[in-house]
Amino acid sequence: MFLTRSEYDRGVNTFSPEGRLFQVEYAIEAIKLGSTTVGVSTTEGVVLGVEKRVQSPLLESSSIEKIMEIDKHLGCAMSGLIADARTMIDHARVTSQNHAFTYDERIKVESVTQAVCDLALRFGESVHDEEAMMSRPFGVALLIAGVDEKGPQLFHTDPSGTFVRYDAKAVGSGSEAAQSELQDKWHKQMTLKEANILTLRVLKQVMEEKLDHHNVQLAQVTADKGFEILDEVRLKALIDDM
Amino acid sequence: MDHFPTSWGRPRTEAYDAYNTFPLHQRPNPGHKDAFAEGVQRTQQPIVTGTSVLGILYKDGIMLVADTLASYGSLARFKSIQRLHPVGSSTVIGASGDMSDFQYLQTLLEELIIEEFAEADKHELGPAEIHEYLSRIMYGRRSKMNPLWNSLLVAGKKDGKRFLAYVDLLGTTYSASTIATGYGAYIALPLLRTAVEGKEDTLTEEEARKILEDAMRVLFYRDARSLDKYQIAIVNDEGVTISEPKKIETEWGFAEGIRGYGAQIQ
Amino acid sequence: MPDGSYAHPQQRQFNPYTENGGTILAIAGADFTVIAGDTRQSEGYSIQTRYAPKVFRLTDRAVLAVNGFAADGNMFVKKVKQRLEWYRHAHAKDMPLRAIARLIQTMLYAQRFFPYYVYNILGGIEEDGSGAVYSFDPVGSYEREACRAAGAAQSLVQPFLDNQIYFKNQQLPPGQTRPLHLSLSDVLSIVIDSFTSATERHIEVGDGLEIYVVLAKGRGPQGLEAVRGAQELTTNAEGDRVFIVRRELKKD
Repeated sequence: MFLTRSEYDRGVNTFSPEGRLFQVEYAIEAIKLGSTTVGVSTTEGVVLGVEKRVQSPLLESSSIEKIMEIDKHLGCAMSGLIADARTMIDHARVTSQNHAFTYDERIKVESVTQAVCDLALRFGESVHDEEAMMSRPFGVALLIAGVDEKGPQLFHTDPSGTFVRYDAKAVGSGSEAAQSELQDKWHKQMTLKEANILTLRVLKQVMEEKLDHHNVQLAQVTADKGFEILDEVRLKALIDDM
Repeated sequence: MDHFPTSWGRPRTEAYDAYNTFPLHQRPNPGHKDAFAEGVQRTQQPIVTGTSVLGILYKDGIMLVADTLASYGSLARFKSIQRLHPVGSSTVIGASGDMSDFQYLQTLLEELIIEEFAEADKHELGPAEIHEYLSRIMYGRRSKMNPLWNSLLVAGKKDGKRFLAYVDLLGTTYSASTIATGYGAYIALPLLRTAVEGKEDTLTEEEARKILEDAMRVLFYRDARSLDKYQIAIVNDEGVTISEPKKIETEWGFAEGIRGYGAQIQ
Repeated sequence: MPDGSYAHPQQRQFNPYTENGGTILAIAGADFTVIAGDTRQSEGYSIQTRYAPKVFRLTDRAVLAVNGFAADGNMFVKKVKQRLEWYRHAHAKDMPLRAIARLIQTMLYAQRFFPYYVYNILGGIEEDGSGAVYSFDPVGSYEREACRAAGAAQSLVQPFLDNQIYFKNQQLPPGQTRPLHLSLSDVLSIVIDSFTSATERHIEVGDGLEIYVVLAKGRGPQGLEAVRGAQELTTNAEGDRVFIVRRELKKD
């Protein structure tokens, strides 16, 4: 009996006759519902920025955590189902520490990105003797920023486990407008400060609320200081400079 | 979550971590039992044993020799045991030490050769591969503290290349133009080295045979666990040939007149 | 016990180890490293073979010398090479020397309760272009040094190196506060002298000598072109370079 399209999006690891995995595609769609997240890479370092949607005046905005440290030289911003990202970042942290333990060196940004992406397609039914991993694909996209021997780099990962390196990348609800803005404004000689300002400007454009230090968060990774989330003072200063 | 990729079970894609790049290489095995949990009986000493095996390189190939005795302690228990064994078409192995462990190795090698033959790709395992395989088996078993109690010689000729190497119960390996196991390493090896070293590419089959027969005679005179019946294995471009058992020509008469031998009479 | 009973349970155990003799050594220069070992393999008083290599090229900038129980040594080198290959696939580069050093520690320590009975000396060029020697004990303790001897004739060779490399018991020239790095030709002479001397006085050392030389990227041949029989093993001429020099040692 011929199966209609809708029946192919039931099994998480069943290809449709056109060769598509609908559940993975839906997961990629889910990210577009998430808040906007921006990453900008420069020769001085990489900047990550996220919009924090503060839905209620009673909500403590500092408890929204969308940028996390993986290692001293690695940071990560996310968009989509934030809870899913915790599994991935936990894995990235362990992989990074393991690498440092075994090889006495910092893991490369690409290697840690690869390690995270290795998790992405481990969903579906478990076979005899195996522990079930996940019932569905991850619903989150990550921007992984870091500095290694190849310099500052920015990687984007999606629920299909694909990863690509970008000079500047936006994901989440406002990503289309944000990405074209980045394409217009990003240039090779950009300083870290310019990258911070660009990140804020791009976020401001796509945010519904008025941008302030409560509803955005910025982080940067540099060769000297590694990963750091910008505190309120530095964030305010940058917003004033915008 | 479990961060060891090796315990994630069957990968969904072939591409995933084909080289097992993660540092913790041992798969946690829930079914693992302590090796000492139950009193496992292991070979702690050889029982029925064969004595020396000798091997030398000569012009056209390699020659091995071993007598046909399998001893039970000091008892000459089995007097017609073959200790030289062909493996595939270009290799022969010779064993000293425990004969039951050697027979077990023969079945393993038989299996290996059949598996390789069943590939039906005309590829054959040569002496170097057989030696590598045996050394993995021997080292693996010593690492389980359950060794196969043998010293083995592996000899062969493939693609015009001669091969002669040793492996023992510890997994120790080496290669040389003359090798001897057991007492042969003390009694025969100096004779073999004098006769062979530097002449590996000129010695004829007859000369090589003579060298080994002379060495076997000395061994029979001095090694109390030896026999005057031996077989020679030859590997050359024609393949492997193992001779029928032959007698060592010995001379006992002369000793009676020499002081220091036999019953002493002023 | 006189009455025939046993006070303690008796157990004879299979000994999974042996010693196969030989000696290895490595000396670091400012921008080169020399790693050497003899080629004799023995057990007890028997010479098993006159040619069993104990020194192995790992990458264009790392060479590993392994001494002790030969079966463990060969297996260990095999596993290290496998890990280097996996690393190359996973991270798209050759493993740096100090990363290899740490890897060797973790691999040795992983066998803490059934150790590889081997003394390792790792030599090569660091990321900063300096010559380096790392020495290990069988369970993975390691340190970076300027020189190290290990194996059967360690007790003969190390004091000689202390004197010649660290200038122990020597007066430093006026105005000089610490020993300086030696030239490659001086180091090669010291290595060869070490082994001829060890061969004279130690029965487990002799037969052949294999000397590996690793030169930092972009450095001249430093007189290596004049060394008889020096053979280049480098795979990528752009980076650091590896050479091997072979010499005969007495066979008695």
